[in-house]
Amino acid sequence: MKLSRLDQEMLEGRHGEARRRAMDGLVTLGRAYGAPDLVDIGYAHIHAGMAMYKDDVELMEELAALGATVAVPSSANIANADLVNWRQTGAPEKLALLQQRAAGAHKAMGSACAFTCTPYWAGHWPTWNTHMVSIESTVTIFCNSVLGARSNRDGFFAVYAAIAGRYPRFGYHLDEQRVGTHRVDVRVEPGNVSDFSALGFHVGKQVGGGVAVFDGFKRRPTLDQLDALGAAMGTSGGISMFIVPGVTPPYATSEQAFTGRRPNDLIVADEQGIRETYAQFSDGSDFDLVHVGCPHASYEEMKQYAALLDGRKVAAGVELWVTTSRSVRNMAAEAGYVATLEKAGAKVISDTCPMSCHFARTASPDPALGVEPPSLRGIVLDSAKQAKYVRDMIRCPTLLTSTEKAIETALTGRFVPRYP
Amino acid sequence: MSAPRVIRARGLVEGTVSGPALVAQEPVSFLGDVAITTGEIVGELPSVKGRRLGGTVLVFPGSMGSAGAWRFLYQLYKHNTHPIALVARVLPDPSVVQGAILAKIPVVCEADEDVLKTIENGDVVTVDGKAGTITVRGRN
Repeated sequence: MKLSRLDQEMLEGRHGEARRRAMDGLVTLGRAYGAPDLVDIGYAHIHAGMAMYKDDVELMEELAALGATVAVPSSANIANADLVNWRQTGAPEKLALLQQRAAGAHKAMGSACAFTCTPYWAGHWPTWNTHMVSIESTVTIFCNSVLGARSNRDGFFAVYAAIAGRYPRFGYHLDEQRVGTHRVDVRVEPGNVSDFSALGFHVGKQVGGGVAVFDGFKRRPTLDQLDALGAAMGTSGGISMFIVPGVTPPYATSEQAFTGRRPNDLIVADEQGIRETYAQFSDGSDFDLVHVGCPHASYEEMKQYAALLDGRKVAAGVELWVTTSRSVRNMAAEAGYVATLEKAGAKVISDTCPMSCHFARTASPDPALGVEPPSLRGIVLDSAKQAKYVRDMIRCPTLLTSTEKAIETALTGRFVPRYP
Repeated sequence: MSAPRVIRARGLVEGTVSGPALVAQEPVSFLGDVAITTGEIVGELPSVKGRRLGGTVLVFPGSMGSAGAWRFLYQLYKHNTHPIALVARVLPDPSVVQGAILAKIPVVCEADEDVLKTIENGDVVTVDGKAGTITVRGRN
């Protein structure tokens, strides 16, 4: 692999131990994947340091203690507790205090403490052809597919790339990877964001690690709809990118998106596929929690939730969680939406979400933190991504419906399915 | 014990270790298929379900699933329930390679022969991630 003079100096430790370690990891990774060289990156969405995993916050603190600083604009991924309002979620204090230490490490490194899976709604908006890294697949997919930036599905090494400002040139950093492999024939007009999530889950299962090209949307999907589509596809499949011609840079048509290659099997996206996803994640009718805001809600979604809850009241015995980044929460508070939501009895939670908080049974927190996941009868959700991970990680029943009907469920105390 | 046999492969992550082979015939998702605190394989991998990864040289077709694999490999390491080396038939996901580097687990892939057929459970295997070799000594 060809290294620049600066890469070589970093590797030799002439720019400090943190940059040496970062470059050493990136070079090993690049050699494994046959990268010819490294590229300059313009943005990094990096590991938060997760309090629900043993010695994981310490990984970030160790880098900060070495004097690491990020070389490019960087944001932190979702965390395991609301750093401010953790008492609202019933999280143990020790867990929240450990999670707060991660914020200290990020501040020391110069990274933004976004603690969200949707940093773009919080203002981190990379543009066309920006090489970037992301530890969160939802972010990888949105940035590749909607913004035209270039990102792989990274792991911990996203932070190494942030520190070095460099990343090996392989995968979705190359033009040849960013072309269509599967054609999706869209024969339905998804009615809302949740339908896009259900549709994405259905398509993702069939695409695997390929690049789906969606043909036939009658209107341009909204940013929230594109976000939901990609998040769900990344959950049921291993995608890094999808293409909607006319939306995904630089493709104006589906022919361009395949660049002369023949697509694999045609995938049909119809109402049956949407219905199947809702059915797959609907167990019984019993629940104690209703959740909206996966991926973390945008300002537009906060506005929608406030309109649905204005002047109304969440039913007794039901909890309604609205999850969003702290930045979006602050914007929504300015607009009065947070007050509306809280007056209706909803809990507005940041930095985490049900599957990422102390509810997870598959995590491995230090026993000294005293984490005891609550026993839940079921969670009502409007996101196929959250539903999949609630099942796998919290191991409790799920009830998947649309956003409007999830909120109606919270208001009435009775589950309202997407399809009557 | 039979004479040692050396299989050539591609070294991905450096380090040299020896241990008993555990051969999975199905792709492994480190997020979900393995219980962190015990290292037990809990996912639907019929060939190895219920076995424990700790101390083994895991021989497997390749990885699948979440980009969170690195975190789970690192957690296995932190709980001392990790495989001591990985022998993948095909190049595993970047997240697996990153987790292995963090957990100091040597990794090789793309061997000259089909390791899922030529290495058996319990064979004593030495993996050299720098040289890219797998030395099989047969069972103890």
